[in-house]
Amino acid sequence: MLKRTSLIYSGLSVVRRNQRYLFWFYALNLLLGLFASSVWSARTIPPDLGAQILASVGLSSADGDTTGALQHSFYSDKLLHGMDLNVLLELFSRPDLAPLQATSMAMNVFGIVFFLASIGLMPGVLLGYSSDHRISRGEFFRACGTNFWRLVRLLLLFLLIAGAVAGLLLAAGFGLADAVDNAANDDRLPILVQFACLVLTILILTIFRAWFDLAQTDVVLGDQAAVRKSLGTSLRGAWQHFGQLLGCYLAITVAAAIVLVAGILLWNKLVPPGNLGGAFLIGQATLLLLLAMRFWQRATMVAFWERQKLEAVA
Amino acid sequence: MNNRALLHVLLISLLVVPATIWGQASQGDLSIPATTSAINAAAPLSPRVVHYEIQAKYDARSHILEATELLTYHNLTGQPLDTFPFHLYLNGFQPSATWMREGKREGTRGQDFDSWNPKSYGEEKIEKFEVSGLGDLTSQLQYIHPDDDNQDDRTVIQVRLPKPLAPDAYIQFKIAFRDQFPETLARTGWNRDFVLGGQWFPKVGVWWHGAWNCHQFHAYTEFFADFGVYDVQLTLPSYEVVGATGIEVGDVKNPDGTKTLTYHADDVHDFAWTASPHYKDYYSTFQSSMGPVKIRIMMQPSHWSQAERHARITRETMERFEQWYGPYPYKTLTVVDPEPGSQAYGMEYPTFFTAGTSWFAPQGIREGPEIVVVHEFGHQYWYGMVATNEFEDAWMDEGINQYSEAEVMDSIFGSSTSIMDWLGVTAGEDDGNRIGYIAADDLDPMAWNGWRYADSESYYAVTYGKTAVVLKTLEGLLGQDTMRRAMHTYFLRYRFTHPTKEDFLKTIEEISGQNLEGFFNQAVYGTQVLDYEVFKVTSYPVQWFRGELEETKGQTEYISNVWIHRKGDFVLPVEVEIRFDNGEKVREQWDGRDRWTRYTYQKKAQVVSAEVDPDHKIFLDHDNFNNSYVVKANRGVTRKLANYWTFLTQLFGQLLTWWLV
Repeated sequence: MLKRTSLIYSGLSVVRRNQRYLFWFYALNLLLGLFASSVWSARTIPPDLGAQILASVGLSSADGDTTGALQHSFYSDKLLHGMDLNVLLELFSRPDLAPLQATSMAMNVFGIVFFLASIGLMPGVLLGYSSDHRISRGEFFRACGTNFWRLVRLLLLFLLIAGAVAGLLLAAGFGLADAVDNAANDDRLPILVQFACLVLTILILTIFRAWFDLAQTDVVLGDQAAVRKSLGTSLRGAWQHFGQLLGCYLAITVAAAIVLVAGILLWNKLVPPGNLGGAFLIGQATLLLLLAMRFWQRATMVAFWERQKLEAVA
Repeated sequence: MNNRALLHVLLISLLVVPATIWGQASQGDLSIPATTSAINAAAPLSPRVVHYEIQAKYDARSHILEATELLTYHNLTGQPLDTFPFHLYLNGFQPSATWMREGKREGTRGQDFDSWNPKSYGEEKIEKFEVSGLGDLTSQLQYIHPDDDNQDDRTVIQVRLPKPLAPDAYIQFKIAFRDQFPETLARTGWNRDFVLGGQWFPKVGVWWHGAWNCHQFHAYTEFFADFGVYDVQLTLPSYEVVGATGIEVGDVKNPDGTKTLTYHADDVHDFAWTASPHYKDYYSTFQSSMGPVKIRIMMQPSHWSQAERHARITRETMERFEQWYGPYPYKTLTVVDPEPGSQAYGMEYPTFFTAGTSWFAPQGIREGPEIVVVHEFGHQYWYGMVATNEFEDAWMDEGINQYSEAEVMDSIFGSSTSIMDWLGVTAGEDDGNRIGYIAADDLDPMAWNGWRYADSESYYAVTYGKTAVVLKTLEGLLGQDTMRRAMHTYFLRYRFTHPTKEDFLKTIEEISGQNLEGFFNQAVYGTQVLDYEVFKVTSYPVQWFRGELEETKGQTEYISNVWIHRKGDFVLPVEVEIRFDNGEKVREQWDGRDRWTRYTYQKKAQVVSAEVDPDHKIFLDHDNFNNSYVVKANRGVTRKLANYWTFLTQLFGQLLTWWLV
């Protein structure tokens, strides 16, 4: 019988031993974030996505003066030395600028790029986590190349299975909340129902995530081309140690939620509105820790997979 | 029935005697009572044109109300009247009614009417219409459509009398009617076991400026009625907690599981009521200069923790209105926290209004309850007592009230945090009104009939936002004291009357001693947009032509040019402040008549900034970003926004990856 505490600590020590992966991913995450936000530094925010991406990487110059309106106006002080919602709304509602629309597009695109990069690079990370030595760059990228489409197939299956379950749960929850809303004159009840439903959905998604993480680990470390086979093996493995795995994943998820909320609160309470450096540091520290939590889950699953393998051999 | 109940019945019957002998009344016996039991005054405060005596029974299951209305009308018009129009507002909630057609076209108050919901059906049906001394005139009733000729609209009905009513004479109508309330629409109707009875009885039009003023019910318009006395008996299930306009003068339990409540109101022009088994009452008092006012807060149980918050903001608002404008003369004020999820939030009736909050109402977010309470209480003045024509001049109640609301909120919570001060995010009411206005600033003038606006966005932007912004701009130009005196004079002069827009504007001119015709023509009667900008700023050395000029701060002489551009078509004199790098400030006055002007200076200093309206008096300006130009760019703000965007993009990417990879 595997002990949950040791599993969690094993995962943590794996992450600590292989910090470079965490920092690479963080650097990529930051770089893409900076790309997305660089439209604020351009002289103008281009109107279409293609131009924005070019502008983000410094390949296009603009002929307007969007950010000039901000940088040369006393009115902007209300955003620098505070966060005046009306000024922000006025900025976003300017049809000549439409910065919200423009920057939101960039935000979506670069967020999705990070997600795709994660699929591509995760096999290398899993291989590195399972190895007792530092794997070479070649091994890392070979694992990525070999397993990319396998992980994409797993992603599609996850979307199909978890998406359907989560969709049904959320729809049922909202339906129930609507029914409660229609029947009760207490406006807290539908919110409580929705919240309970959301917690349940997250719980179930966490179970699915643990299952699919184990399947990904099996696909990469077991070099399993038939992903359905890995899914089946992982389901059995995860089922046998259901409470243990769920406990590990939930503990780390809760820790991540605490990190995020605490980070935002610290940002809000400790950093004066005009202190850009402080805001950047707290924000980035929060994001780094958040990313570390996810890597901790992955490392925990690698440790679990290896112990299962050892148990099977024994 | 015990002795106490018998006593109640006796008292009630005394109060409703006219209702029981209506058929025997002759014109010579008629009068409108000079009662003062509901006001802190020894004599009537208004010209009492009407006396409504209504006996109504509400069926909480079917949402149907059966009633008889005895209306005594005093002809104070100075001329004979042979027709009388009546509003039947609930008929607006029918698929072919003008209200519904406009609602379908534009959407109104959160409803888009994508498909017809049978629960939205409302009806106000006159079963019988009799006139004292003239008999049954039910067959003479005709629907009229003065605004849009929609033959299917049944919100105004008219009766032609066989003989005209002489000046100063009285007439009495006895109307038997039946209401079907809709599921809450336009702040009337039912929701679950809650009901708000607003605009629920046949109401006579107003003779105004030589003609009947009785408009159809429109999706955005509100109401207009004459002052008078109301005596209303409501019979409903005994488990209901009931609140209404005026004072409660009777409460009798009936053997059939119902109770009959009697209300009396003086010097009001409408009567509304609400009932729900869930209300919890919270009481407070405000000491007006005319006497004590009993404040009753009818809270939803789930919002009970906010009861004192409602009471506190109500008292603080009453205190400011009394101090700035004049006293609140009624003995009661009922604040209703309506059914959650209903369309009954934020509506004003005399001595009674619905507020609106939710379970989640942090102290720093003041939309509910504070803003809505301040706003709806303000209507006790700008609608309740100064009873403007809400159909034709919606800005005179909503807009003037929006301005007063901002004044009150600013004085309590500070001008930059009067809407919100939560988690580092702030918002002030004056800027909020301006943001509302610039969303649709050039489609319709303020002086525009409510139903003629281009769309709902323009209606709300102009009647609420623009009016508040125009008055705030006037306050900036004339000074707060002058503006307060003007509003105070306007209130005292026109309370319990139906003033026109000219009455209001002339009062401001009179008190300020200024001719404001040019301003009013653009701001009130026109659609001109005000937008001034600092177009360009340059500085260059006087001896620029010398090849190797070394510039030394404080010694080198510069020629500086500042261009100010009037981008909009609204002409208003403005101040411009130019600052130099030696600390010097120069103030210029520009009449704004040309499209642009240029100021040139020759100094041993360069311009560092230029700003139009440096004292921030002109809230009407469409674009505040271009009002100033700082020569040296301050990249802090774009860096700050970029930092937020970086964080959000990273977080979005991480969350996506967390769940999918």
